[in-house]
Amino acid sequence: MSVITPEQVSPTATDGGKRDVWWMTWFFPAWYAVFGVIICLLTRVTPPPRPDVTAAGKVEFFAQHHLTIQIGFTLLLILLGGAAMTNGLVAYQMKRMSVGSAFAYGYLGGMSVGAIPGFLLVTVCFLTAAFRPDRNPELTSLLYDLGMLSYNGSLGCFSVAYLVLAIAILYDRNEIFPKWFAYISIWQIVTEVIATQMFVFDSGPFAWNGSISFWLAVVVFSVWLGALIVLLRRAAAAESADAPALD
Amino acid sequence: MPGDINMWVMVLGDMIIFAGYFVIFMIYRSMNRQEFLLAQQHLNIAIGVTNTVILLTSSWVVALAVQAVRAGEFEKSTRLVLAGGAGGIAFMVLKGYEWASKIAAGHTNSEMFYSFYYVITGVHLLHVLIGLIVLGVVVRELRNPAKRRPAMVETGATYWHMVDLLWVIIFALFYVMR
Repeated sequence: MSVITPEQVSPTATDGGKRDVWWMTWFFPAWYAVFGVIICLLTRVTPPPRPDVTAAGKVEFFAQHHLTIQIGFTLLLILLGGAAMTNGLVAYQMKRMSVGSAFAYGYLGGMSVGAIPGFLLVTVCFLTAAFRPDRNPELTSLLYDLGMLSYNGSLGCFSVAYLVLAIAILYDRNEIFPKWFAYISIWQIVTEVIATQMFVFDSGPFAWNGSISFWLAVVVFSVWLGALIVLLRRAAAAESADAPALD
Repeated sequence: MPGDINMWVMVLGDMIIFAGYFVIFMIYRSMNRQEFLLAQQHLNIAIGVTNTVILLTSSWVVALAVQAVRAGEFEKSTRLVLAGGAGGIAFMVLKGYEWASKIAAGHTNSEMFYSFYYVITGVHLLHVLIGLIVLGVVVRELRNPAKRRPAMVETGATYWHMVDLLWVIIFALFYVMR
């Protein structure tokens, strides 16, 4: 079998698969739905507030969304372990691949480290800003920038995770995930690399709220995440409950 | 349909994403026509044309490689794929030289036209690099009697043609269009 051509479509087991995998497979989209509500509706970090505003504008942002930022991010602080659980599920499916476990651990490590800049830093920065609304505006401005730059620009951890995922999928002879998902994961890496531009622009297409750095990237990410959720279900359905436990 | 469906998902999706980049570039171009036209003057159209000819030739050679493997001429196909890869390397060298000379002349991403230029040609360059890896995989499998077959060369060719097509559009948008 070639690295770049497939052989067969994965089968579906008839016994409903493993219970624990089934639960985690449903947890995955449930957690991301809650995460989506938190980042979009409550805390308003996605889509991101503008980088090209004054300190007064940033103070105004925190004042306007004060309550929902506190509710949303304290909720996220309690729930953020769910992200690690979703990474664990993907790592489990990667361990079922014929390439061995090292890539799975690479994915797990990369994504887990990525959570710190990925959303923990913006959580802490924004909660800190909301904690004392009468803080020096320059300090509030710093917390805003720090939170936004780390949240949108936290790239390297995820890029590496996507890379080992892509390599594992391409070399996997067990067809746990289809080959095209490897290519979508590589698109993710490219959008992360392009997003580096947000550290030098505060307006325009490459700013953290720009059409290229943010909007196009979020479309690609949504495709990746949606595909992953569907493929995790497929992979779980294809594994028999009697399949031997992994090491 | 030649090649495999996974590569077609890759190629068509990739082209949709690039189409997004091109549309955004065109929107900003229409908002800043003078600035973009002036900045464009400093691009070296000779290198642009050379690179275009290099990639078109390399695509042609890879297409010949597909024909060769379909006729069972594996050694010939291998040589043709290697030649196509050599074109890709030449492209990358020229592009690197071009970037270096632009940056030395002070055209960095502080100019909007050039910020688009570096990002889009940079992403394209990454695709060329990945294409070299893909062609390398094709060569390795052509050399393996157990693995050589047309579908695999077709798959690699599909990707390589996409890289070429993207460049032709980039060349038109950045170097030629006034």
